[in-house]
Amino acid sequence: MLFNSLTFVVFFVVVVTIYWSIRSWQARKNLLVVASYIFYGAWNPPFAALLFGTTAMDFWLGRQMSKARDQHARRRWLIASVCMNLSMLGFFKYGNFLLENFQWLLARVGIIYQPPHLDILLPVGISFYTFHSLSYTLDIYRGVLRPTKSLRDFILAVSFFPQLVAGPIVRAGDFLPQLLHPPRLKNGQFLWGLALMTLGLFQKIVLADTLLSGSADRVFGYPGPLVALDSWAGVLAFAGQIFFDFAGYSLCAIGAALTLGFHLKDNFRFPYAAIGFSDFWRRWHISLSTFLRDYLYIPLGGNQVVPFRAALNLVIVMFLGGLWHGAAWTFVIWGLLHGSYLVIERIFRVSLEHQPWASTLPVRVLAGFATYAAVCVAWVFFRASDFTIASRMLGGMFGQHPHGDAILSTRELLQIGSVTAGVIGMHWAMRDNTFETAVMRLPPWTIAAIGSAMICAIILTQGSSNAFIYFQF
Amino acid sequence: MRSSISNFKKRLRLPRLFFRKPSREEQIHGGPPLEFERPIPPAPWRGIAVAVTIVVIAATTLWELYCRSLGYGPTRNDNEDFWTLRRRIVEPESIVIIGDSRAWFDVDLDEFQKGLGKRPIQLAMAGSTAFPALSDLANDKNFHGTIICSVVPNLFFAPPGTPPMERAEKGVKRFHNQTPAQRVSEYLSMPLEEHVVFLKPDDLSLEAILNKLPIPNRPGALVPPRFPPYFQTEDRERRARMWEKCAEPGSELAKKVQQIWIPLFTPPAPPSYIPKDIFFAQINEGMQKRFTDVTAAVEKLRSRGGKIVFVRFPYSGGLKELEDRITPREKTWDPLLKMTGAPGIYYSDFPELSEFNCPEWSHLSAGDSVEFSKRLVPHLRDALNM
Repeated sequence: MLFNSLTFVVFFVVVVTIYWSIRSWQARKNLLVVASYIFYGAWNPPFAALLFGTTAMDFWLGRQMSKARDQHARRRWLIASVCMNLSMLGFFKYGNFLLENFQWLLARVGIIYQPPHLDILLPVGISFYTFHSLSYTLDIYRGVLRPTKSLRDFILAVSFFPQLVAGPIVRAGDFLPQLLHPPRLKNGQFLWGLALMTLGLFQKIVLADTLLSGSADRVFGYPGPLVALDSWAGVLAFAGQIFFDFAGYSLCAIGAALTLGFHLKDNFRFPYAAIGFSDFWRRWHISLSTFLRDYLYIPLGGNQVVPFRAALNLVIVMFLGGLWHGAAWTFVIWGLLHGSYLVIERIFRVSLEHQPWASTLPVRVLAGFATYAAVCVAWVFFRASDFTIASRMLGGMFGQHPHGDAILSTRELLQIGSVTAGVIGMHWAMRDNTFETAVMRLPPWTIAAIGSAMICAIILTQGSSNAFIYFQF
Repeated sequence: MRSSISNFKKRLRLPRLFFRKPSREEQIHGGPPLEFERPIPPAPWRGIAVAVTIVVIAATTLWELYCRSLGYGPTRNDNEDFWTLRRRIVEPESIVIIGDSRAWFDVDLDEFQKGLGKRPIQLAMAGSTAFPALSDLANDKNFHGTIICSVVPNLFFAPPGTPPMERAEKGVKRFHNQTPAQRVSEYLSMPLEEHVVFLKPDDLSLEAILNKLPIPNRPGALVPPRFPPYFQTEDRERRARMWEKCAEPGSELAKKVQQIWIPLFTPPAPPSYIPKDIFFAQINEGMQKRFTDVTAAVEKLRSRGGKIVFVRFPYSGGLKELEDRITPREKTWDPLLKMTGAPGIYYSDFPELSEFNCPEWSHLSAGDSVEFSKRLVPHLRDALNM
């Protein structure tokens, strides 16, 4: 079920109404479990069974781990959980990718092998709920979480519908404590939740789908070389589209959870005003970057090792981060590019740390724009479906096709230009701020005017229920 | 018990008192205390909500009234979910209409039902090629009914990857992969679209309004031609009827639509990245492949006892000149019938079918479509041996 669909509007109204009219906290939790499975099953009912299977297995493994008497046994249960989750992810998401690469490798040594193409349907949001579930056993192993006794609570923690299919990746340790007591809505919490949902939908439906996605699709789908203006416009359009799409979904999730009394953390903090790449990853998809930091980067040694090993750790983490997004080498290159960016930044930082001019405003602004430009270059690999398209796009961006085609209308160029300038300006204005503090400073009539304008724009757009980009991951 | 966040905060060396100690109850889960609560900005939220509701209702009502004042009426909107809804009711012996917008506008289901004894199912789709639907029905082992297939060569032979092909494929794909949520959304949108006039994504949405802005493009820019404005209504059976405002002789709207057909039907210039001779060879190859694929689909359908008849619906004016020049009958229609061995009805072969004029050159008015359908029925019965 998509947040930007009529079905969800009806579903949400019904769930929220019943939820707040029930007194029993246990019954409310049961309702949320049922609602979450309906929400998920509305895509493909059989996959709800897979979701339940993964969850129940991790619940059991978590209990076994806590009962284990020694560290070796605990480790065995953890390995079982990691293998179960990753093999599920591997089969559904990477099955064909692995087979194709195996075939390619054999061909390099002269063995011709034609693997069968597995007709595997990717369960929506499997990368997200696998990580929700995995965080539980990982935290039990690390000794920072005691297993819950309630299977129902754990099922709800993994499948809570606002964050189920496209994040934020909410760790069981952050959600389970919220299930202890019935939530009490603070003054304005419900309406603030609705306001965040409105802002999220506005970002998705109006900014991403209406103003940017068409141009990005046409540029990346064009089979010939393009002039520099169109190539850059296509990449900027995609940079804006993916931000508004994913940040919009996250805001909807946070808002929907708030209306039900739950608190989810921010997933984005104005990333296009990042100064440097480590700053970017503290602002972009925060729930994934902190997940990778805590469960992969730090266990690998983090930066508490020799510089070369620390750099390698960064590259490994970003490589896997890239692969998490999709089963294609283009995603791997995207991850490796970000890994390299982080390593280069670290080298610069070490050598420039004590230079007074390095922290002056012009240098910071320049570094911010350089970060944005480098992030955009990496987006080319993220969006392009193969390396031919990616190299053609990069060629266009860096002036190799002066006689290429121009395919975007002036209107589209104006739309992309104004939305890009708007998003960068907004991010810089808000870079050390939050939505909440910004709203606090606004007079009520301005909040009402902005809210009305956003809702009117959503209605006028008459969304066509385009899926959110991150659903495919 | 410490959470990962606690570890992180510990590393930040914040004072211990900064965090409250978890209560015994909270330790049932063993998890960390609830360290995080989203701040709620203090504002008069109820008043704001009331103000927003009033403004949105007022703005929406005014927009609705304005659209009605322009002559728009409520109608269903065509999309892949609506198409899927109709595709689902196809039974083994159904009569199914497939193809482009001419079959969509020019066929009156009541007249066909009277003449053919069965109510046909309208699956023609504006601006699309018939092939994906034909192929889908041919591959449907349960189906052995009758197909009435409209042929507009420009669309019928559209190669893969072009909008006519993608539009049709989208419908077929949705039929096979429609999720329960998409299905419910379609049912929910029905009453809304039938009562609210401004719900017209192709004409009154933000994107469509922006598209209409008269901003000149760069010289030489390969910008896709515009699509015609709203000029039809559609009912629950996907029967399209030309808007009366367009059907009026010499109407401004009809003239506007006529001028849109010309660039839409004019073949685009070969792209810069393929040599011209290779481009034209590829086009020719694609066309031959379509002949072969259609023939195979027709054979498959016939092997199960199914029937098919191709129909060329009326077109006129400048569009007729253009179509006849770029897709002459001898190179499209004649070989199609020859290769498939299927019957065909070319409207201009029959005087009683040639008396109609298309107000905007491509489709019949709602009134004429009834009469045309009545006159077409005997020819269909002959062609299908009914």
